[in-house]
Amino acid sequence: MASHRDRPIPLRVSNKKGYVWDVDDIAILRSHHHICGVLAGTLPHLSQQNVFLGVPLLLMPEEVVLLVDKGGPGFAILVDDQNAHHDPSAVELDKWDSERLRGIEEQLALAEEHEAREALNPDRAMSENAILKRKEREAKKARGKANALEPDQSLSTPLSTESVPDPPGPPDSSHGSGVTVTRNSVTPYTVHVPGTSSAFEWYALSNHSFNTLAAARDAGIWDYPKTPFERARCAVFRDLWEQGYFMGGGIKFGGEYLVYPGDPLRYHSHFVASVIESPAAPLRPMEIVAHGRLGTGTKKAHLLCEWDEDKQAATYYSIEWAGFG
Amino acid sequence: MESHSFHPRLAELISKYPKSAGALFQTFNDVTLAQKWTDIQVLELSKCGRGAIKGLRPSLTAGEPPSTCVVVPCGLAESLSTSWIRGAFAALDDQLADAPETLFVAICSDDSSIVYYKITKGIMKPQV
Repeated sequence: MASHRDRPIPLRVSNKKGYVWDVDDIAILRSHHHICGVLAGTLPHLSQQNVFLGVPLLLMPEEVVLLVDKGGPGFAILVDDQNAHHDPSAVELDKWDSERLRGIEEQLALAEEHEAREALNPDRAMSENAILKRKEREAKKARGKANALEPDQSLSTPLSTESVPDPPGPPDSSHGSGVTVTRNSVTPYTVHVPGTSSAFEWYALSNHSFNTLAAARDAGIWDYPKTPFERARCAVFRDLWEQGYFMGGGIKFGGEYLVYPGDPLRYHSHFVASVIESPAAPLRPMEIVAHGRLGTGTKKAHLLCEWDEDKQAATYYSIEWAGFG
Repeated sequence: MESHSFHPRLAELISKYPKSAGALFQTFNDVTLAQKWTDIQVLELSKCGRGAIKGLRPSLTAGEPPSTCVVVPCGLAESLSTSWIRGAFAALDDQLADAPETLFVAICSDDSSIVYYKITKGIMKPQV
């Protein structure tokens, strides 16, 4: 795999799942390497966000294995995310805290400045724009009242001037010269939360990265694949990937993977794939019935993907309902 | 079964492969009488330990010619595997001049229900 960038793609592992947090990496994985993953991030204030999700991208374990193995050295690395976040030192914490306070002070200073400007210009209500808007409002009202029964009610000018709202400002500011503006004791300010962990000085990815699965396994952060079935899954996934297919999760159609001929945003999948662990693994006729009928019923075929560990080869059989009988 | 008129045609395979005798008999009847296949031949697939049936299946759409199909019977309670499927294709390769890429499996159950599924070698897109 050609590396399009000068740094390896970090696959940040947390609780044995691989996440991609950098948007550029997500784009490269999809467009250059046809690895889609699933976006899993939600916004804190949306109580039911379930259609469009954001970062991080959650990868299937087979996708992680493929990227680290097949990508070659320096393409993708596994990051032990938990340990990459160190406890900040006293110095780092002081620095962070003073920057945070300075940011708040700057915001408060700007707010004060803004209020002072407002107070020096108490006749904002009489500015050109305000006058124009007021005239429009009065004309509208006059038209409305003229269409009503009483014609002399259109002379309602004194009423309309009183209905103009006061310009917004602190409640105890007063008009005229020599004014003192007393600031509200709780002026709101914005708290900025950085988007990436790499913005923190105490996030050190270089000491907690692994560029092979074996190294990650030794460190205890990654252990897939560990059973023959998991090995078969990785092998079949890789074989299909090498043939250029895009794969997604198959749960909606009763299989392990959905196999797409191109980007899932553009195509429907043609196949629902299930992995057969070995040539001798028992296969019940009822599975052929269930997979075949569900596949055909959803305009797909079911793909039985057999992995032969001895021959290191994958064999495929496509299953469809016969349409007769 | 023995007194059935179709029995003589299947007698040899029934005695040689008794475990699949029921499925073979059931499939032969269905294919001949219900599915109305013609030009029926009975084949022996020793690599999967059973007989199979080859014939001309009438087309599902009017005006089209019948197509040559091979159906391999099996019972719902049997335990198959992908190496069994591989064996079926290999046996057909041996038996037939133009070895098919597709075979049908006829899954037979005790209540005489029979369902047919198409198995194709390789990654074959479903026809629209």
